[in-house]
Amino acid sequence: MDDAKGGASYAVHISPEDVQRFCEFLYRRTGLSFTEGKRYFIDRRLEDRIAATGSSSFQAYFSLLRADADHEIEHLINSFTVNETYFYREEHQLRCMTSSLLDVIASHKEPGGTVRIWSVPCSTGEEPYSIALWLMENWPQVDSYNIEIVGSDIDTRALKAAAEGIYGDRALMRLSPDLIDRYFRFVAEGRHQIDDGLRNSIEFTRVNLIDSRDMALHRDFDLIFCRNVLIYFDDASRRQAAENLYGCLRPGGYICLGHSESMSRISPLFRVARFPDAIVYQRPETDHG
Amino acid sequence: MADIGMPKARVLVVDDSSLVRLYYRSALEQAGFVVEQAINGIEAMERVLSESFDLVIVDVNMPRMDGFTFLRSLRSSATDVAMLPTLMISTEAGLEDVAEARRAGANFYLVKPVAQTELVRHVSVLTGAAM
Repeated sequence: MDDAKGGASYAVHISPEDVQRFCEFLYRRTGLSFTEGKRYFIDRRLEDRIAATGSSSFQAYFSLLRADADHEIEHLINSFTVNETYFYREEHQLRCMTSSLLDVIASHKEPGGTVRIWSVPCSTGEEPYSIALWLMENWPQVDSYNIEIVGSDIDTRALKAAAEGIYGDRALMRLSPDLIDRYFRFVAEGRHQIDDGLRNSIEFTRVNLIDSRDMALHRDFDLIFCRNVLIYFDDASRRQAAENLYGCLRPGGYICLGHSESMSRISPLFRVARFPDAIVYQRPETDHG
Repeated sequence: MADIGMPKARVLVVDDSSLVRLYYRSALEQAGFVVEQAINGIEAMERVLSESFDLVIVDVNMPRMDGFTFLRSLRSSATDVAMLPTLMISTEAGLEDVAEARRAGANFYLVKPVAQTELVRHVSVLTGAAM
């Protein structure tokens, strides 16, 4: 979920032959097996590592990798495993949403009112779709409110993949066969496309978390999921992002961060809200609350 | 429901929220119904005039044409669709709302939230699919 980093984007050309050589190397050294079908996933991680090592081309990076300079193989493996996302990741926060947060949010609204939920960065869509699925399966009031779910990312390729909604078996590993059967359509071996109705339920937009103009277009959210991205910013950018996110929340709205992140260390604007399933952060009802 | 050889009942779900349509559709399809969708009263009128349905499930508050207006249009139609069974589902729980729905021609009225099992039970009765 490292897809909304505010840094520069790196346009390094990686050919299909490069990908094949790379995959063979990766398999020999680590046992991790990726095929051409995971091209998008592979490219993203490779580009990140090429940028992180300051390599000028794929060839330069591949030489460095084969020499295992600065433990690059380990860094590479981390980028291929830790950052792979999947449906129903951090389930305790989804549980917190339906067992605590939405009931509080809904108590301040008339039935039929609008509840806005934002997944940022949404990467290739697993999180916003998970939110929609989880709501239908676990929130008894799901049909009583006009629920708007927005998924945003800085990466337009990720957004395109999100809108397409095609996922491999690994992304669906936490979903029951019944859920997969009801909400996904088989498109090819190990490839499943999410239900058209679900795809139409999510609005996908491009946003840079540290760009105030981008963020000003995203307003009045009751709940924001912003997980495992602030850790990639430096202190100044992190504060900027936190202030921007504050402005995107309705007064009283909540924000969920990744399990290793703490808003208290970033910004004094939010208050800590402890619920049985998760610790989240709240924009106070008043700015001096 | 969905006995072999029995034609599946066709249900039109009319709601402006795509998530709500999906929530209802998911429950009904699992129970063996064929589900079509419309996002407001105007689209629903077009569908019922051109296709055959066994039941229309309709929300009240929708843009362009609300549920009450749809029901009145449906009941005043000169064709057989005027007799189409309808289930109105609304967040409004007041007696006046229920009375308004009855006057507009709703056969049954449910107040949201409606659990998926409850929805299937009512739709089965209204389409004659219940055993």
